[in-house]
Amino acid sequence: MVIFLKAGSELRDRLKPDIDFYTRRIETEQGKTIKEILADIGINPGLVAFIYTSGKVKGLHYIPSNGQTITLQPPVSGG
Amino acid sequence: MNNGLAGTTLRINLSTGEIHRFPTDEELFRRWHGGRGVIAKILYDEVPRNADPLGPENIFIVNVGIMSGCYIPAGSKTEFGSISPLTNGHGDSNMGGHFGPMLKFAGYDMIIFSGVSPKPIFLYVDNDAVELRDASQYWGFGSLDCEEQLKKDLGEDFEIVTIGPAGENGVLFSCITHDFGRQAGRTGQGAVMGSKKLKAIAVRGNRSIRVHDLESLEKQVTGIIQRTKEHPNMEPWQKYGTSFFIRWSNDNAVLPAYNFQTTYYEDVGKIDGDQLIEQCLITHKACFGCWMNCGKYTKAVIEGKPVVHLEGPEYETGATCGSNLGMKDINHVAYINWMLDNLGMDSMSGGGVTAFAMECFEKKFITKEDLEGFTLKWGSVDDVEHFLDMVAHKRGIGEWFAGGSKRAAEKIGQGSEKFAMQVKGQEMSGYDGRWAPGMLLSYMTADIGAHHNRSWTITVDMAEGRESVEGRAKIVVYLQHIRPLFDTWCICRLFWGELDISPEEIVESLNHITGWEVTVDESLRTSEMIWNLTRCHYLERNRENGRLFDYPPSRSWEDKIPSGPGKGKGVTLEQVEKMLDEYYEARGWDKNGNPTREVLTDLGLDFAGDNLEKIGLLGKPTPGGIPPVRGEKYKPKAF
Amino acid sequence: MRIKVNRDNCTGCRLCLQICAIEHFFEINPKKAALRIEAKFPDPGKFRPFVCTQCGKCAEVCPEDAVYQNEAGGYIVDQEKCTNCGDCVVACPVGVICQHPDLGYVIKCDFCMECTRICNTKALVEWKRKPVTAKKEA
Repeated sequence: MVIFLKAGSELRDRLKPDIDFYTRRIETEQGKTIKEILADIGINPGLVAFIYTSGKVKGLHYIPSNGQTITLQPPVSGG
Repeated sequence: MNNGLAGTTLRINLSTGEIHRFPTDEELFRRWHGGRGVIAKILYDEVPRNADPLGPENIFIVNVGIMSGCYIPAGSKTEFGSISPLTNGHGDSNMGGHFGPMLKFAGYDMIIFSGVSPKPIFLYVDNDAVELRDASQYWGFGSLDCEEQLKKDLGEDFEIVTIGPAGENGVLFSCITHDFGRQAGRTGQGAVMGSKKLKAIAVRGNRSIRVHDLESLEKQVTGIIQRTKEHPNMEPWQKYGTSFFIRWSNDNAVLPAYNFQTTYYEDVGKIDGDQLIEQCLITHKACFGCWMNCGKYTKAVIEGKPVVHLEGPEYETGATCGSNLGMKDINHVAYINWMLDNLGMDSMSGGGVTAFAMECFEKKFITKEDLEGFTLKWGSVDDVEHFLDMVAHKRGIGEWFAGGSKRAAEKIGQGSEKFAMQVKGQEMSGYDGRWAPGMLLSYMTADIGAHHNRSWTITVDMAEGRESVEGRAKIVVYLQHIRPLFDTWCICRLFWGELDISPEEIVESLNHITGWEVTVDESLRTSEMIWNLTRCHYLERNRENGRLFDYPPSRSWEDKIPSGPGKGKGVTLEQVEKMLDEYYEARGWDKNGNPTREVLTDLGLDFAGDNLEKIGLLGKPTPGGIPPVRGEKYKPKAF
Repeated sequence: MRIKVNRDNCTGCRLCLQICAIEHFFEINPKKAALRIEAKFPDPGKFRPFVCTQCGKCAEVCPEDAVYQNEAGGYIVDQEKCTNCGDCVVACPVGVICQHPDLGYVIKCDFCMECTRICNTKALVEWKRKPVTAKKEA
């Protein structure tokens, strides 16, 4: 199945977008969590605070569906 | 002036009531970049080294910097500064909202207060009208209540900063509040205002800010606005603000719980961002010129208590007053946030001091008798409410805690210094550094005591190995140059940190505003110059080798994390010493933590070097010399 | 054409005021804007933008006939004719016509729509009347 991951900032450098400035197309298996998918593509899951999809925040245990777009949110650096 | 400055600086002697206007010194702002930099230079030049921070010789400065108000992304900040009563060194604290820009629209870049007023007053500014007005009818008001009343009395279009009873009573970690929920929280600036009997500043203005090249500035900024609207981080930031990171901190074992006893909080689900948005949110709130609107205006609803309105809890308050106090209901955390705001105390130090007191109560170092018949149990909002009231009004044992956890521990003894989680007298932010050694080093070496705003390294620690201290020092030094630049520029750091606006773009904006030809390298060097100046100032006031003040409390290396994903982890004292050695080397300071002649000369600070030499605290020359460039930007490796 | 206000979306950032002044006066000064933001804090804790609704009251009361309608039907102030008397300021039911000490004429919205373009929360949105459909005409 295919999903689309989006990221900005330093996460974007690690993601290596290929669809547009922020987005990378990922082929993966059904049933995998975001945490597992990140590890598969070489991104330390600890560098992602949460994901954002369809207007909602989800944790890294979230299992995406085919065609879904997921934004990776890095941790805030304080405020 | 066509350089982003309003043009006038006010000097107000509160002892005599004299108000003097001067043309703003553009050269001073050029050399020191405004904001925190100008504050550092004025404090260094004008405050006697033995001045009592709560006495008439301390100077309290309000500085809007160059970029605030100038159609810049989140160009909203005001910087406040004085000798901090918490740390006895240079202190500064920044605040968002709308006050700074309004001060500029009234025609002023900086207000310098000296002396002490004989009676409570507030400063009234309405364009050219600048008056010290009687504040006796507001004295004793909560910060938020005072702002509400002043807006009714003067007009809704005034922007107002206030202090609460805590500032009036000299609680050393008192804050300044504005816009019903923005604070200049750290370093006790509210206590300095209170010591001068300055209850509030109210400003209104309708003048234009003139810049060097508005056409180029508008084109650049409008382009940035359109670009960042598409940024992946924009929507979650707008919706949730900082509160959502509590879960991440917990999952990654940096969330402080029960006074930093552990870093895993089992009830995090009751106080996280989901709960804030679902139970408490009223409206999303923005600072001047910011389209990210990370502020969350909320209400706390608790049976038997009045419904209260506040802005927050942000991440920091959610951690220091939530998990750190064992709270199990987001409404309780919000209520504590509101109490601290209205009483006028910094929520980070307020949470840290309360947590320290709770552990003292747990260990029976303080008793119900000390607490006017109340307990001080983990998770009890009623106990916290009563305790904070005692502290704000310095009643009984509240007076001990009003000095911060370091001074309270000195009074309580019995080894409690170990778990007073502070450095140089200021309490830690909402991150535990035992399994993030770069973060611990950040706390240890911040100029204003334990604070994350100078340097935040947790993702670096995670990428480079959480049990290793290798290479952290140079990265901390670099962050301590780039992050405080935002307090110098008086703009919000989050657009750089979260929405990919580069330092090069910010400096380009600065040049459109001023007509100067500043580079990023120059800005970083200016920031390093400010850093070294405030270090020299600190040593001159405290008269000891700097290293003595750079240690965290011993819990940091004596107590391994007892639970959660970080169980068993922690730094050793040897690692703490090693990090300090590497840090000083990276800074061009000697092993005692004192700046050397070589680095001070390189930065144009020979006058400060001469002063250190006179008191025997100039750093000894380092064999092999100082690094030609201090600090190194982190380059992430592949996973 | 109108400016639609979704008041619950307003965050009080005042970017709309800034861009209005930059667009019309080429100055950074939110007090030279032809709209206003009302803030009601601490309770209920909400912002509310007020914008020109093109009701025409300003034209009705103007003693100098300085307010005219353009081709799109919007009410525009002729700065040459305006004497800055302020009658329209008082008459405006939403309080968005303003005066400024720098100027000899009032500041009134001309529907340039820059505020809707800069707003990031859709608190201010450009609203165009929908054309009549072919189906309806048939």
